[in-house]
Parts: sequence; C-alpha cells; structure tokens
Amino acid sequence: MIQALQRVLTMDSSSEPSDTIAAAAAGDTAAFERLYRQFSPRVYGLCLRLTGQREAAEDCTQESFVAAWRGLGRFERRSRFSTWLHKIAVNCVLSRRKGLRAEYEVAEPALGLPDRADPGTGAPPLDVERAIAKLPDGARHVLVLVGIYGYSHAQAAGTLGIAEGTCKAQLHRARQLLAATLGLEE
Amino acid sequence: MNDRRQDSLDRLLANLPRDIVPPGDLWPAVAARLTRKPRYAPPMALAAAIAMVAAGLASFVTWAVLQGRSVPPVVQAAAVSRSFDDLRDPKYVLARDSIEKTFRERLALLEPATRAKIESSLAIIQKAHDDIRKALASDPQSPVLQQLWESTWHDEFDLYDRVVQATQPTMTRI
Repeated sequence: MIQALQRVLTMDSSSEPSDTIAAAAAGDTAAFERLYRQFSPRVYGLCLRLTGQREAAEDCTQESFVAAWRGLGRFERRSRFSTWLHKIAVNCVLSRRKGLRAEYEVAEPALGLPDRADPGTGAPPLDVERAIAKLPDGARHVLVLVGIYGYSHAQAAGTLGIAEGTCKAQLHRARQLLAATLGLEE
Repeated sequence: MNDRRQDSLDRLLANLPRDIVPPGDLWPAVAARLTRKPRYAPPMALAAAIAMVAAGLASFVTWAVLQGRSVPPVVQAAAVSRSFDDLRDPKYVLARDSIEKTFRERLALLEPATRAKIESSLAIIQKAHDDIRKALASDPQSPVLQQLWESTWHDEFDLYDRVVQATQPTMTRI
C-alpha cells in the first residue's frame, strides 16, 4: 500500500513552471510570488506535519521561501523545483528542531489527546493529524516524509541524516504508535 | 501489525491532504524579506573576517593539542597585547623573531602527530594573516581590519609561546 502511495505521489502532476522559476531566479519578485502561491500549501503542509505546531510551521514556511529566493541562482534544475524546495523546508524544520523541543514537550499535553482510544466505545478514530503531531520527533518525521509525502526510505534517510535502517525502524514504530493511538483494531 | 490494521492505517494516511493552505497569508512577511537589501559586506573585509575565524579555530586547536602539558601561565613581555602601530616597533619584531626561532627548535622535539597539528594550525593563522594584510592594502585605514590583523599576529605569537612553554621543562620528545 505504501508503495502504491509512493507511485501515486511520484506521478503527482503539479507542474514545474520553468519560465516562472527562471524569472524568479533573475530577481523578479512577482514571479517568485507566483511560485509561492503555487507551492506554499505543500510546503506549509509538510512543515506543519513535521513540526506538529502551527506557528513553527508558519515560520518554517516563510524561512523556506526566503532561503529559496536566496538560493534560486544556484538551483541547477537537476532535480525538480518542488523537490528542491521541499528539501529546503525539511532543513528549516530540522534546524529549528533543537530550539523547539521544549515547546513540543509543553505543547503536546495541551492537545488533549488521550494515549489510546477506547476501542469499546465504537467512537470514530481520533483525529489523525493530532495523533501524528503527538508522535515522537524521529518517528513523526519519517512517517510524514515516507508515509504521507511519498519519499523513498533512501530519500528520507538522506534528508533526515539517518541510516536507511533507522528510517525503516522509525516508520514501523510510528505506524505502531499511530495505530495504537487511533485505536485501530488488532 | 496485521494486514487489516495496516490497511486501515494506510487508508487514513492516504486520505490526508498533502497540501494545506496556511491560515494566514504569509506572503507579505516573505516579500518584506525579499526586498530588503542585503547588508553591505565588502568582499575583502568579509574574507578577512572569515580568515580571522579560521585563525581563532587554529589557535584553539593548538591550545587543545597542548592541553594537559602543565603549561605555566607565563606571558612574555612581547606577547602583551599591543596596538596596531606597536606591532611594527623594531624591538617588538626582534623579540618576536627570537621566540619564533626558539619555537622552530622546540617544534622539532614534538611527536610527529602533534607537530603536524601545530604546523597545520600555524599555516591557517598565517594564511589568515596574509588575507587580512591584503584586505588592509585596499583599505589601510579600516579599524576593523587593523584589529583583525593585530589579532592574527597575536594568535601566531601565542602559538609560538605555547609551544615554547610546553617544551620548556624537559626539552625532550613529548
């Protein structure tokens, strides 16, 4: 299923507006705004899920686009613009990670998520997004990149600076924790 | 995790939207930072500042290499902080040359690995010194560059001094 998801995501047809990218690289801020409008929802979604916090995600999104603007001249088109931009976003999140750790620890209980859903109540699964936000950092990062955004393990491991085996183990852990939190049937 | 549970989880994840529109428009904040002019940093001064950081690191490496050798906190007269102009004083230059000569002799007494690290640190400091000197040639009145130049000079002297002091007690291979 994960593989199927990856195939779907690989075929994602979000167009790469090469003219707009070239204009932005030449310093055209209007062109860059068009890129922002097109790509910011994906970048924000990625940042929101990686950080688990709205404010941090907004900051990282802004930082990512500012960094992209500064680095556009060096963008060599060997990869897709979106891939390049997402990598910047992930790096922004990771570089904030240490500083935000204390905030995560304070913020998590405030979400009010119980550790497990009560399987006897027949209640619908708890909100998936909140459950993902509650995952430990390492597990959440891998789940978001591989499980939601379709990175391969090799890509995610490279982006996160971890071994591929660690990446697989973190995904397994994330899925177990998520299933337990969401009260999915054994 | 069994297949049914796995499928349920996969379905949930697959249904999540990958795009999420930020709650507020972040573009104005981004745009404000794009139009801001980058801070002016003259290339030579910037290079000099980078060189200075490298020199500082090199000095620290030397300090770390010689740590634990019971270096007495002796600072020779020539090592006392001096102004930019004092560094050109012939007496100071003579004192510095003298300690450099001693340094070269003592350096030969060190273990090859330690010697290599110190020589590498010295090369970094001297490169920084040269870079800053070149920057000064184009902007001789710059107080920042004068200060950087002075600092690298002291770093180099400090390195000599540390080696001389560290090899003082035994004069044997360490």
